[in-house]
Amino acid sequence: MGHANTFNEDAKLPEAAAKRAQTIALACAVVGLGASFGGGLLGLFGGDAKELHHQFYFSWLTAFFFFTTLSLGGLFFTILHHLVRASWSTGLRRIAENLAMNIPLMAACALVLSMGFGDVYHWTHIDPAKDPIFAVKEPYLNVGFFTIRAVVFFALWAVLAFFFRKNSVAQDGAQSAESASAFNFKMRRLAPLSMLAFALSLTFFSFDWLMSLDPHWFSTMFGVYVFAGTVVALFATLILSVLWLTRNNAVSTDTLTIGVFHDAGKLMFGFTVFWTYITFSQYYLIWYANIPEETGWFMHRAQGGWEHVGLLIAVGHFILPFWTIMSRHVKRNRFMLGLVAGWMLFMHFVDLYFVIMPTHHHHLHLHWLDLTTFVGVGGVFLMGFLFWCKRDALVARKDPQLTASTGYDNV
Amino acid sequence: MSDTSPHNKESIFPPPFVAGKHDFHSITEAICGVVEKPLNINWILALGVAGTVMAMLFASIGYLFWEGTGIWGLNNPVGWGWAIVNFVFWVGIGHAGTLISAVLFLFRQKWRTAINRFAEAMTIFAVICALVFPGIHVGRVWAAYWMLPIPNQMAMWPNFRSPLLWDVFAVSTYFTVSLLFWYVGLVPDLATLRDRAKSKLAFWSYGLFSLGWRGANRHWQNYERAYMLLAALATPLVLSVHTIVSFDFAVSVLPGWHTTIFPPYFVAGAIFSGFAMVLTLAVPSRKLFGLEDFITIRHIENMNKIILVTGTLVGYAYAMEFFIAWYSGSPYEGFAFINRAFGPYWWAYLAMVSCNVISPQFFWSKKMRTNLTVTFILSIFVNIGMWFERFVITMTLHRDFLPSSWDYYAPTVYDMSTFLGSFGLFFTLFILFLKFLPAVAISEVKGVMPQADPHWEGYAHAHHAVSNAVSNKEAH
Repeated sequence: MGHANTFNEDAKLPEAAAKRAQTIALACAVVGLGASFGGGLLGLFGGDAKELHHQFYFSWLTAFFFFTTLSLGGLFFTILHHLVRASWSTGLRRIAENLAMNIPLMAACALVLSMGFGDVYHWTHIDPAKDPIFAVKEPYLNVGFFTIRAVVFFALWAVLAFFFRKNSVAQDGAQSAESASAFNFKMRRLAPLSMLAFALSLTFFSFDWLMSLDPHWFSTMFGVYVFAGTVVALFATLILSVLWLTRNNAVSTDTLTIGVFHDAGKLMFGFTVFWTYITFSQYYLIWYANIPEETGWFMHRAQGGWEHVGLLIAVGHFILPFWTIMSRHVKRNRFMLGLVAGWMLFMHFVDLYFVIMPTHHHHLHLHWLDLTTFVGVGGVFLMGFLFWCKRDALVARKDPQLTASTGYDNV
Repeated sequence: MSDTSPHNKESIFPPPFVAGKHDFHSITEAICGVVEKPLNINWILALGVAGTVMAMLFASIGYLFWEGTGIWGLNNPVGWGWAIVNFVFWVGIGHAGTLISAVLFLFRQKWRTAINRFAEAMTIFAVICALVFPGIHVGRVWAAYWMLPIPNQMAMWPNFRSPLLWDVFAVSTYFTVSLLFWYVGLVPDLATLRDRAKSKLAFWSYGLFSLGWRGANRHWQNYERAYMLLAALATPLVLSVHTIVSFDFAVSVLPGWHTTIFPPYFVAGAIFSGFAMVLTLAVPSRKLFGLEDFITIRHIENMNKIILVTGTLVGYAYAMEFFIAWYSGSPYEGFAFINRAFGPYWWAYLAMVSCNVISPQFFWSKKMRTNLTVTFILSIFVNIGMWFERFVITMTLHRDFLPSSWDYYAPTVYDMSTFLGSFGLFFTLFILFLKFLPAVAISEVKGVMPQADPHWEGYAHAHHAVSNAVSNKEAH
């Protein structure tokens, strides 16, 4: 009672479940990447297939950004857990840490884009002399500085992810409660500065990789908008991971209780509303003021079939989940909440698609490469995630706060 | 639990919510004692000072009604002066109360119980002060009711597309819900005061407002449900009110006003200033009324952390505004921000940045966060800084698109007496509240005591209480 070592669970991923998931992940990666690269390379031969080449990079960017936000979400959750000294989320901590460990993999996926950088980012071949608006921002928006920033961001996130996971896993071997809490103190000490660095890096990352797709457009809210979507996707991923782990008896439902599950659902609900608040405010202020240099971005997305996607996002990213997960019964029902979590991940993808793809297609145009790149990058992401899941215990077993987390239920 | 880390200076678990050796009875005694003690001279003096300052407010308003808004420093490009600055300032102050009472309640942050009552009172009084300013700014006050969409024979309506009208709805809804929330929370405590009342007047007045509360099981069940619902209703209000206030500026086409980050930036700023005001009030009153066991250093430290977080968020918004003003390549945006920082009002910008962004940085240090003097001084700095933030934003008007109409705005003595007077109104209400109502929520504080845990093992085992944050989860 109250002793840190009452937790006797092994919390290891069972071999059979791991094998099955790894096979699926590998199959996805091979088929997805094979088809995507095949399509992309076909485009190099020119002619009618040239379009495939362009399409490949845009689809890749969408898939890459989607899975990067899942990793970044994991990093955010890890830092936040220590920053606010939460105890209820101790059981979820390791899953988030594992998600964050995929940052280097995502950096590798970013490298693929470098080959088609000019195809995606039109500002790489704007002549500043002919475009006075671009001339102003050219010192910021140039390939050299962009690359430096990208390297710095990914390096920063990778270092943070490694730091938190390394200390977290080292804690698993702690012999006494005191030596275990020393790790908590260590991680808590770094949390505030990490959060500051995370906030700024995510903001400029989203400016660079998404906002600059339209180099004339700007919005001070954009970083917050990407952040909000990231957090919704994170909670959806956590919920699905918890479901998968408990179903395969990797972690018992006495550890990841229905209470923890319920609260992850509450936070997903909260951040869905937050995302709506941010997204609506951004749209609404631009619509109301009606200044041409800002409205272009939305005008572009209000025609050519894109308006239907916008409507889908309004309904699917807000109205549906709002009325569904508001209910306590839904949040405490593993199947229902899992369903909504899956849906929110899909909507997060649609949301990013709505930001990225209209740059390439003035008319809504779904492409098979969108699917294959998603499956391919997703397979890679899943393989990385499973690798880290298999390596160590799935729960921070020696964390003195775990007892507070396992007995946790808020009705 | 105490055996997990007995040698650590700092436990992994937070300290208890209530300091000292308290039981249920001593809590009632300590909090009700403030109300029941006979009037003391210091309190009367404080009320006298606040009342005098408040009288200055009413005198200024009286003269304003007689003479018109010409007595203020308004000029042609700056049609909005201190009145809007003060309005936004006071509305912002209120936000901490709602955040503490509603949002922290939903997040199960039990430390809030010690401070929610008077933070909510602060909210209500701040909103009253806020509502004064748009009301008297209309010029023809006898037509102030035109702000409301009342059917009339002239078929004349307010502009439904104007955020100024939404403000009327947002702020009045906010006031109504805050008042209800505060009152519902007060009911059990009012009943306690009723039951302890010595005089007939006290018995009847507390009895009237305690709505026949007897502490029955059914009463508590209904109470908890109502409280939960009101918390859920008040939570969106924390965001919506200051969002609408930010719309007053952001829906325009003015550089420096029209920027998409305004809504969350205003909300963060409001919470920032509100927590500063809570601390400005809490630090002296916990000492004067002997509430140190309830509003502990832990509470002060937590609030200082929120000040650091929200101050940093506000700093983030300033940085985004500046970066995007440059990145947009719009010369007007660029000018508005350069003019803010280096134009005639550079001193206001400097005051804003130093008070709002630099001063909270001291709270990175635990020593500073737990030092009452530092906390009190910094909380005043934040209050000043947040007033200047609204001043800086409003003064964007002074150089508009037409350089020939540029002008410099300076307040008159009546601007100042009205603003200063609003503090008189605020403190008069607050001082009255401290004396006549329980400043700390008695029943809620009891609920977070280790004794309230059904598994509590009695006074002999009181050392288990150290980790009361988690005790109820571990006791089985």
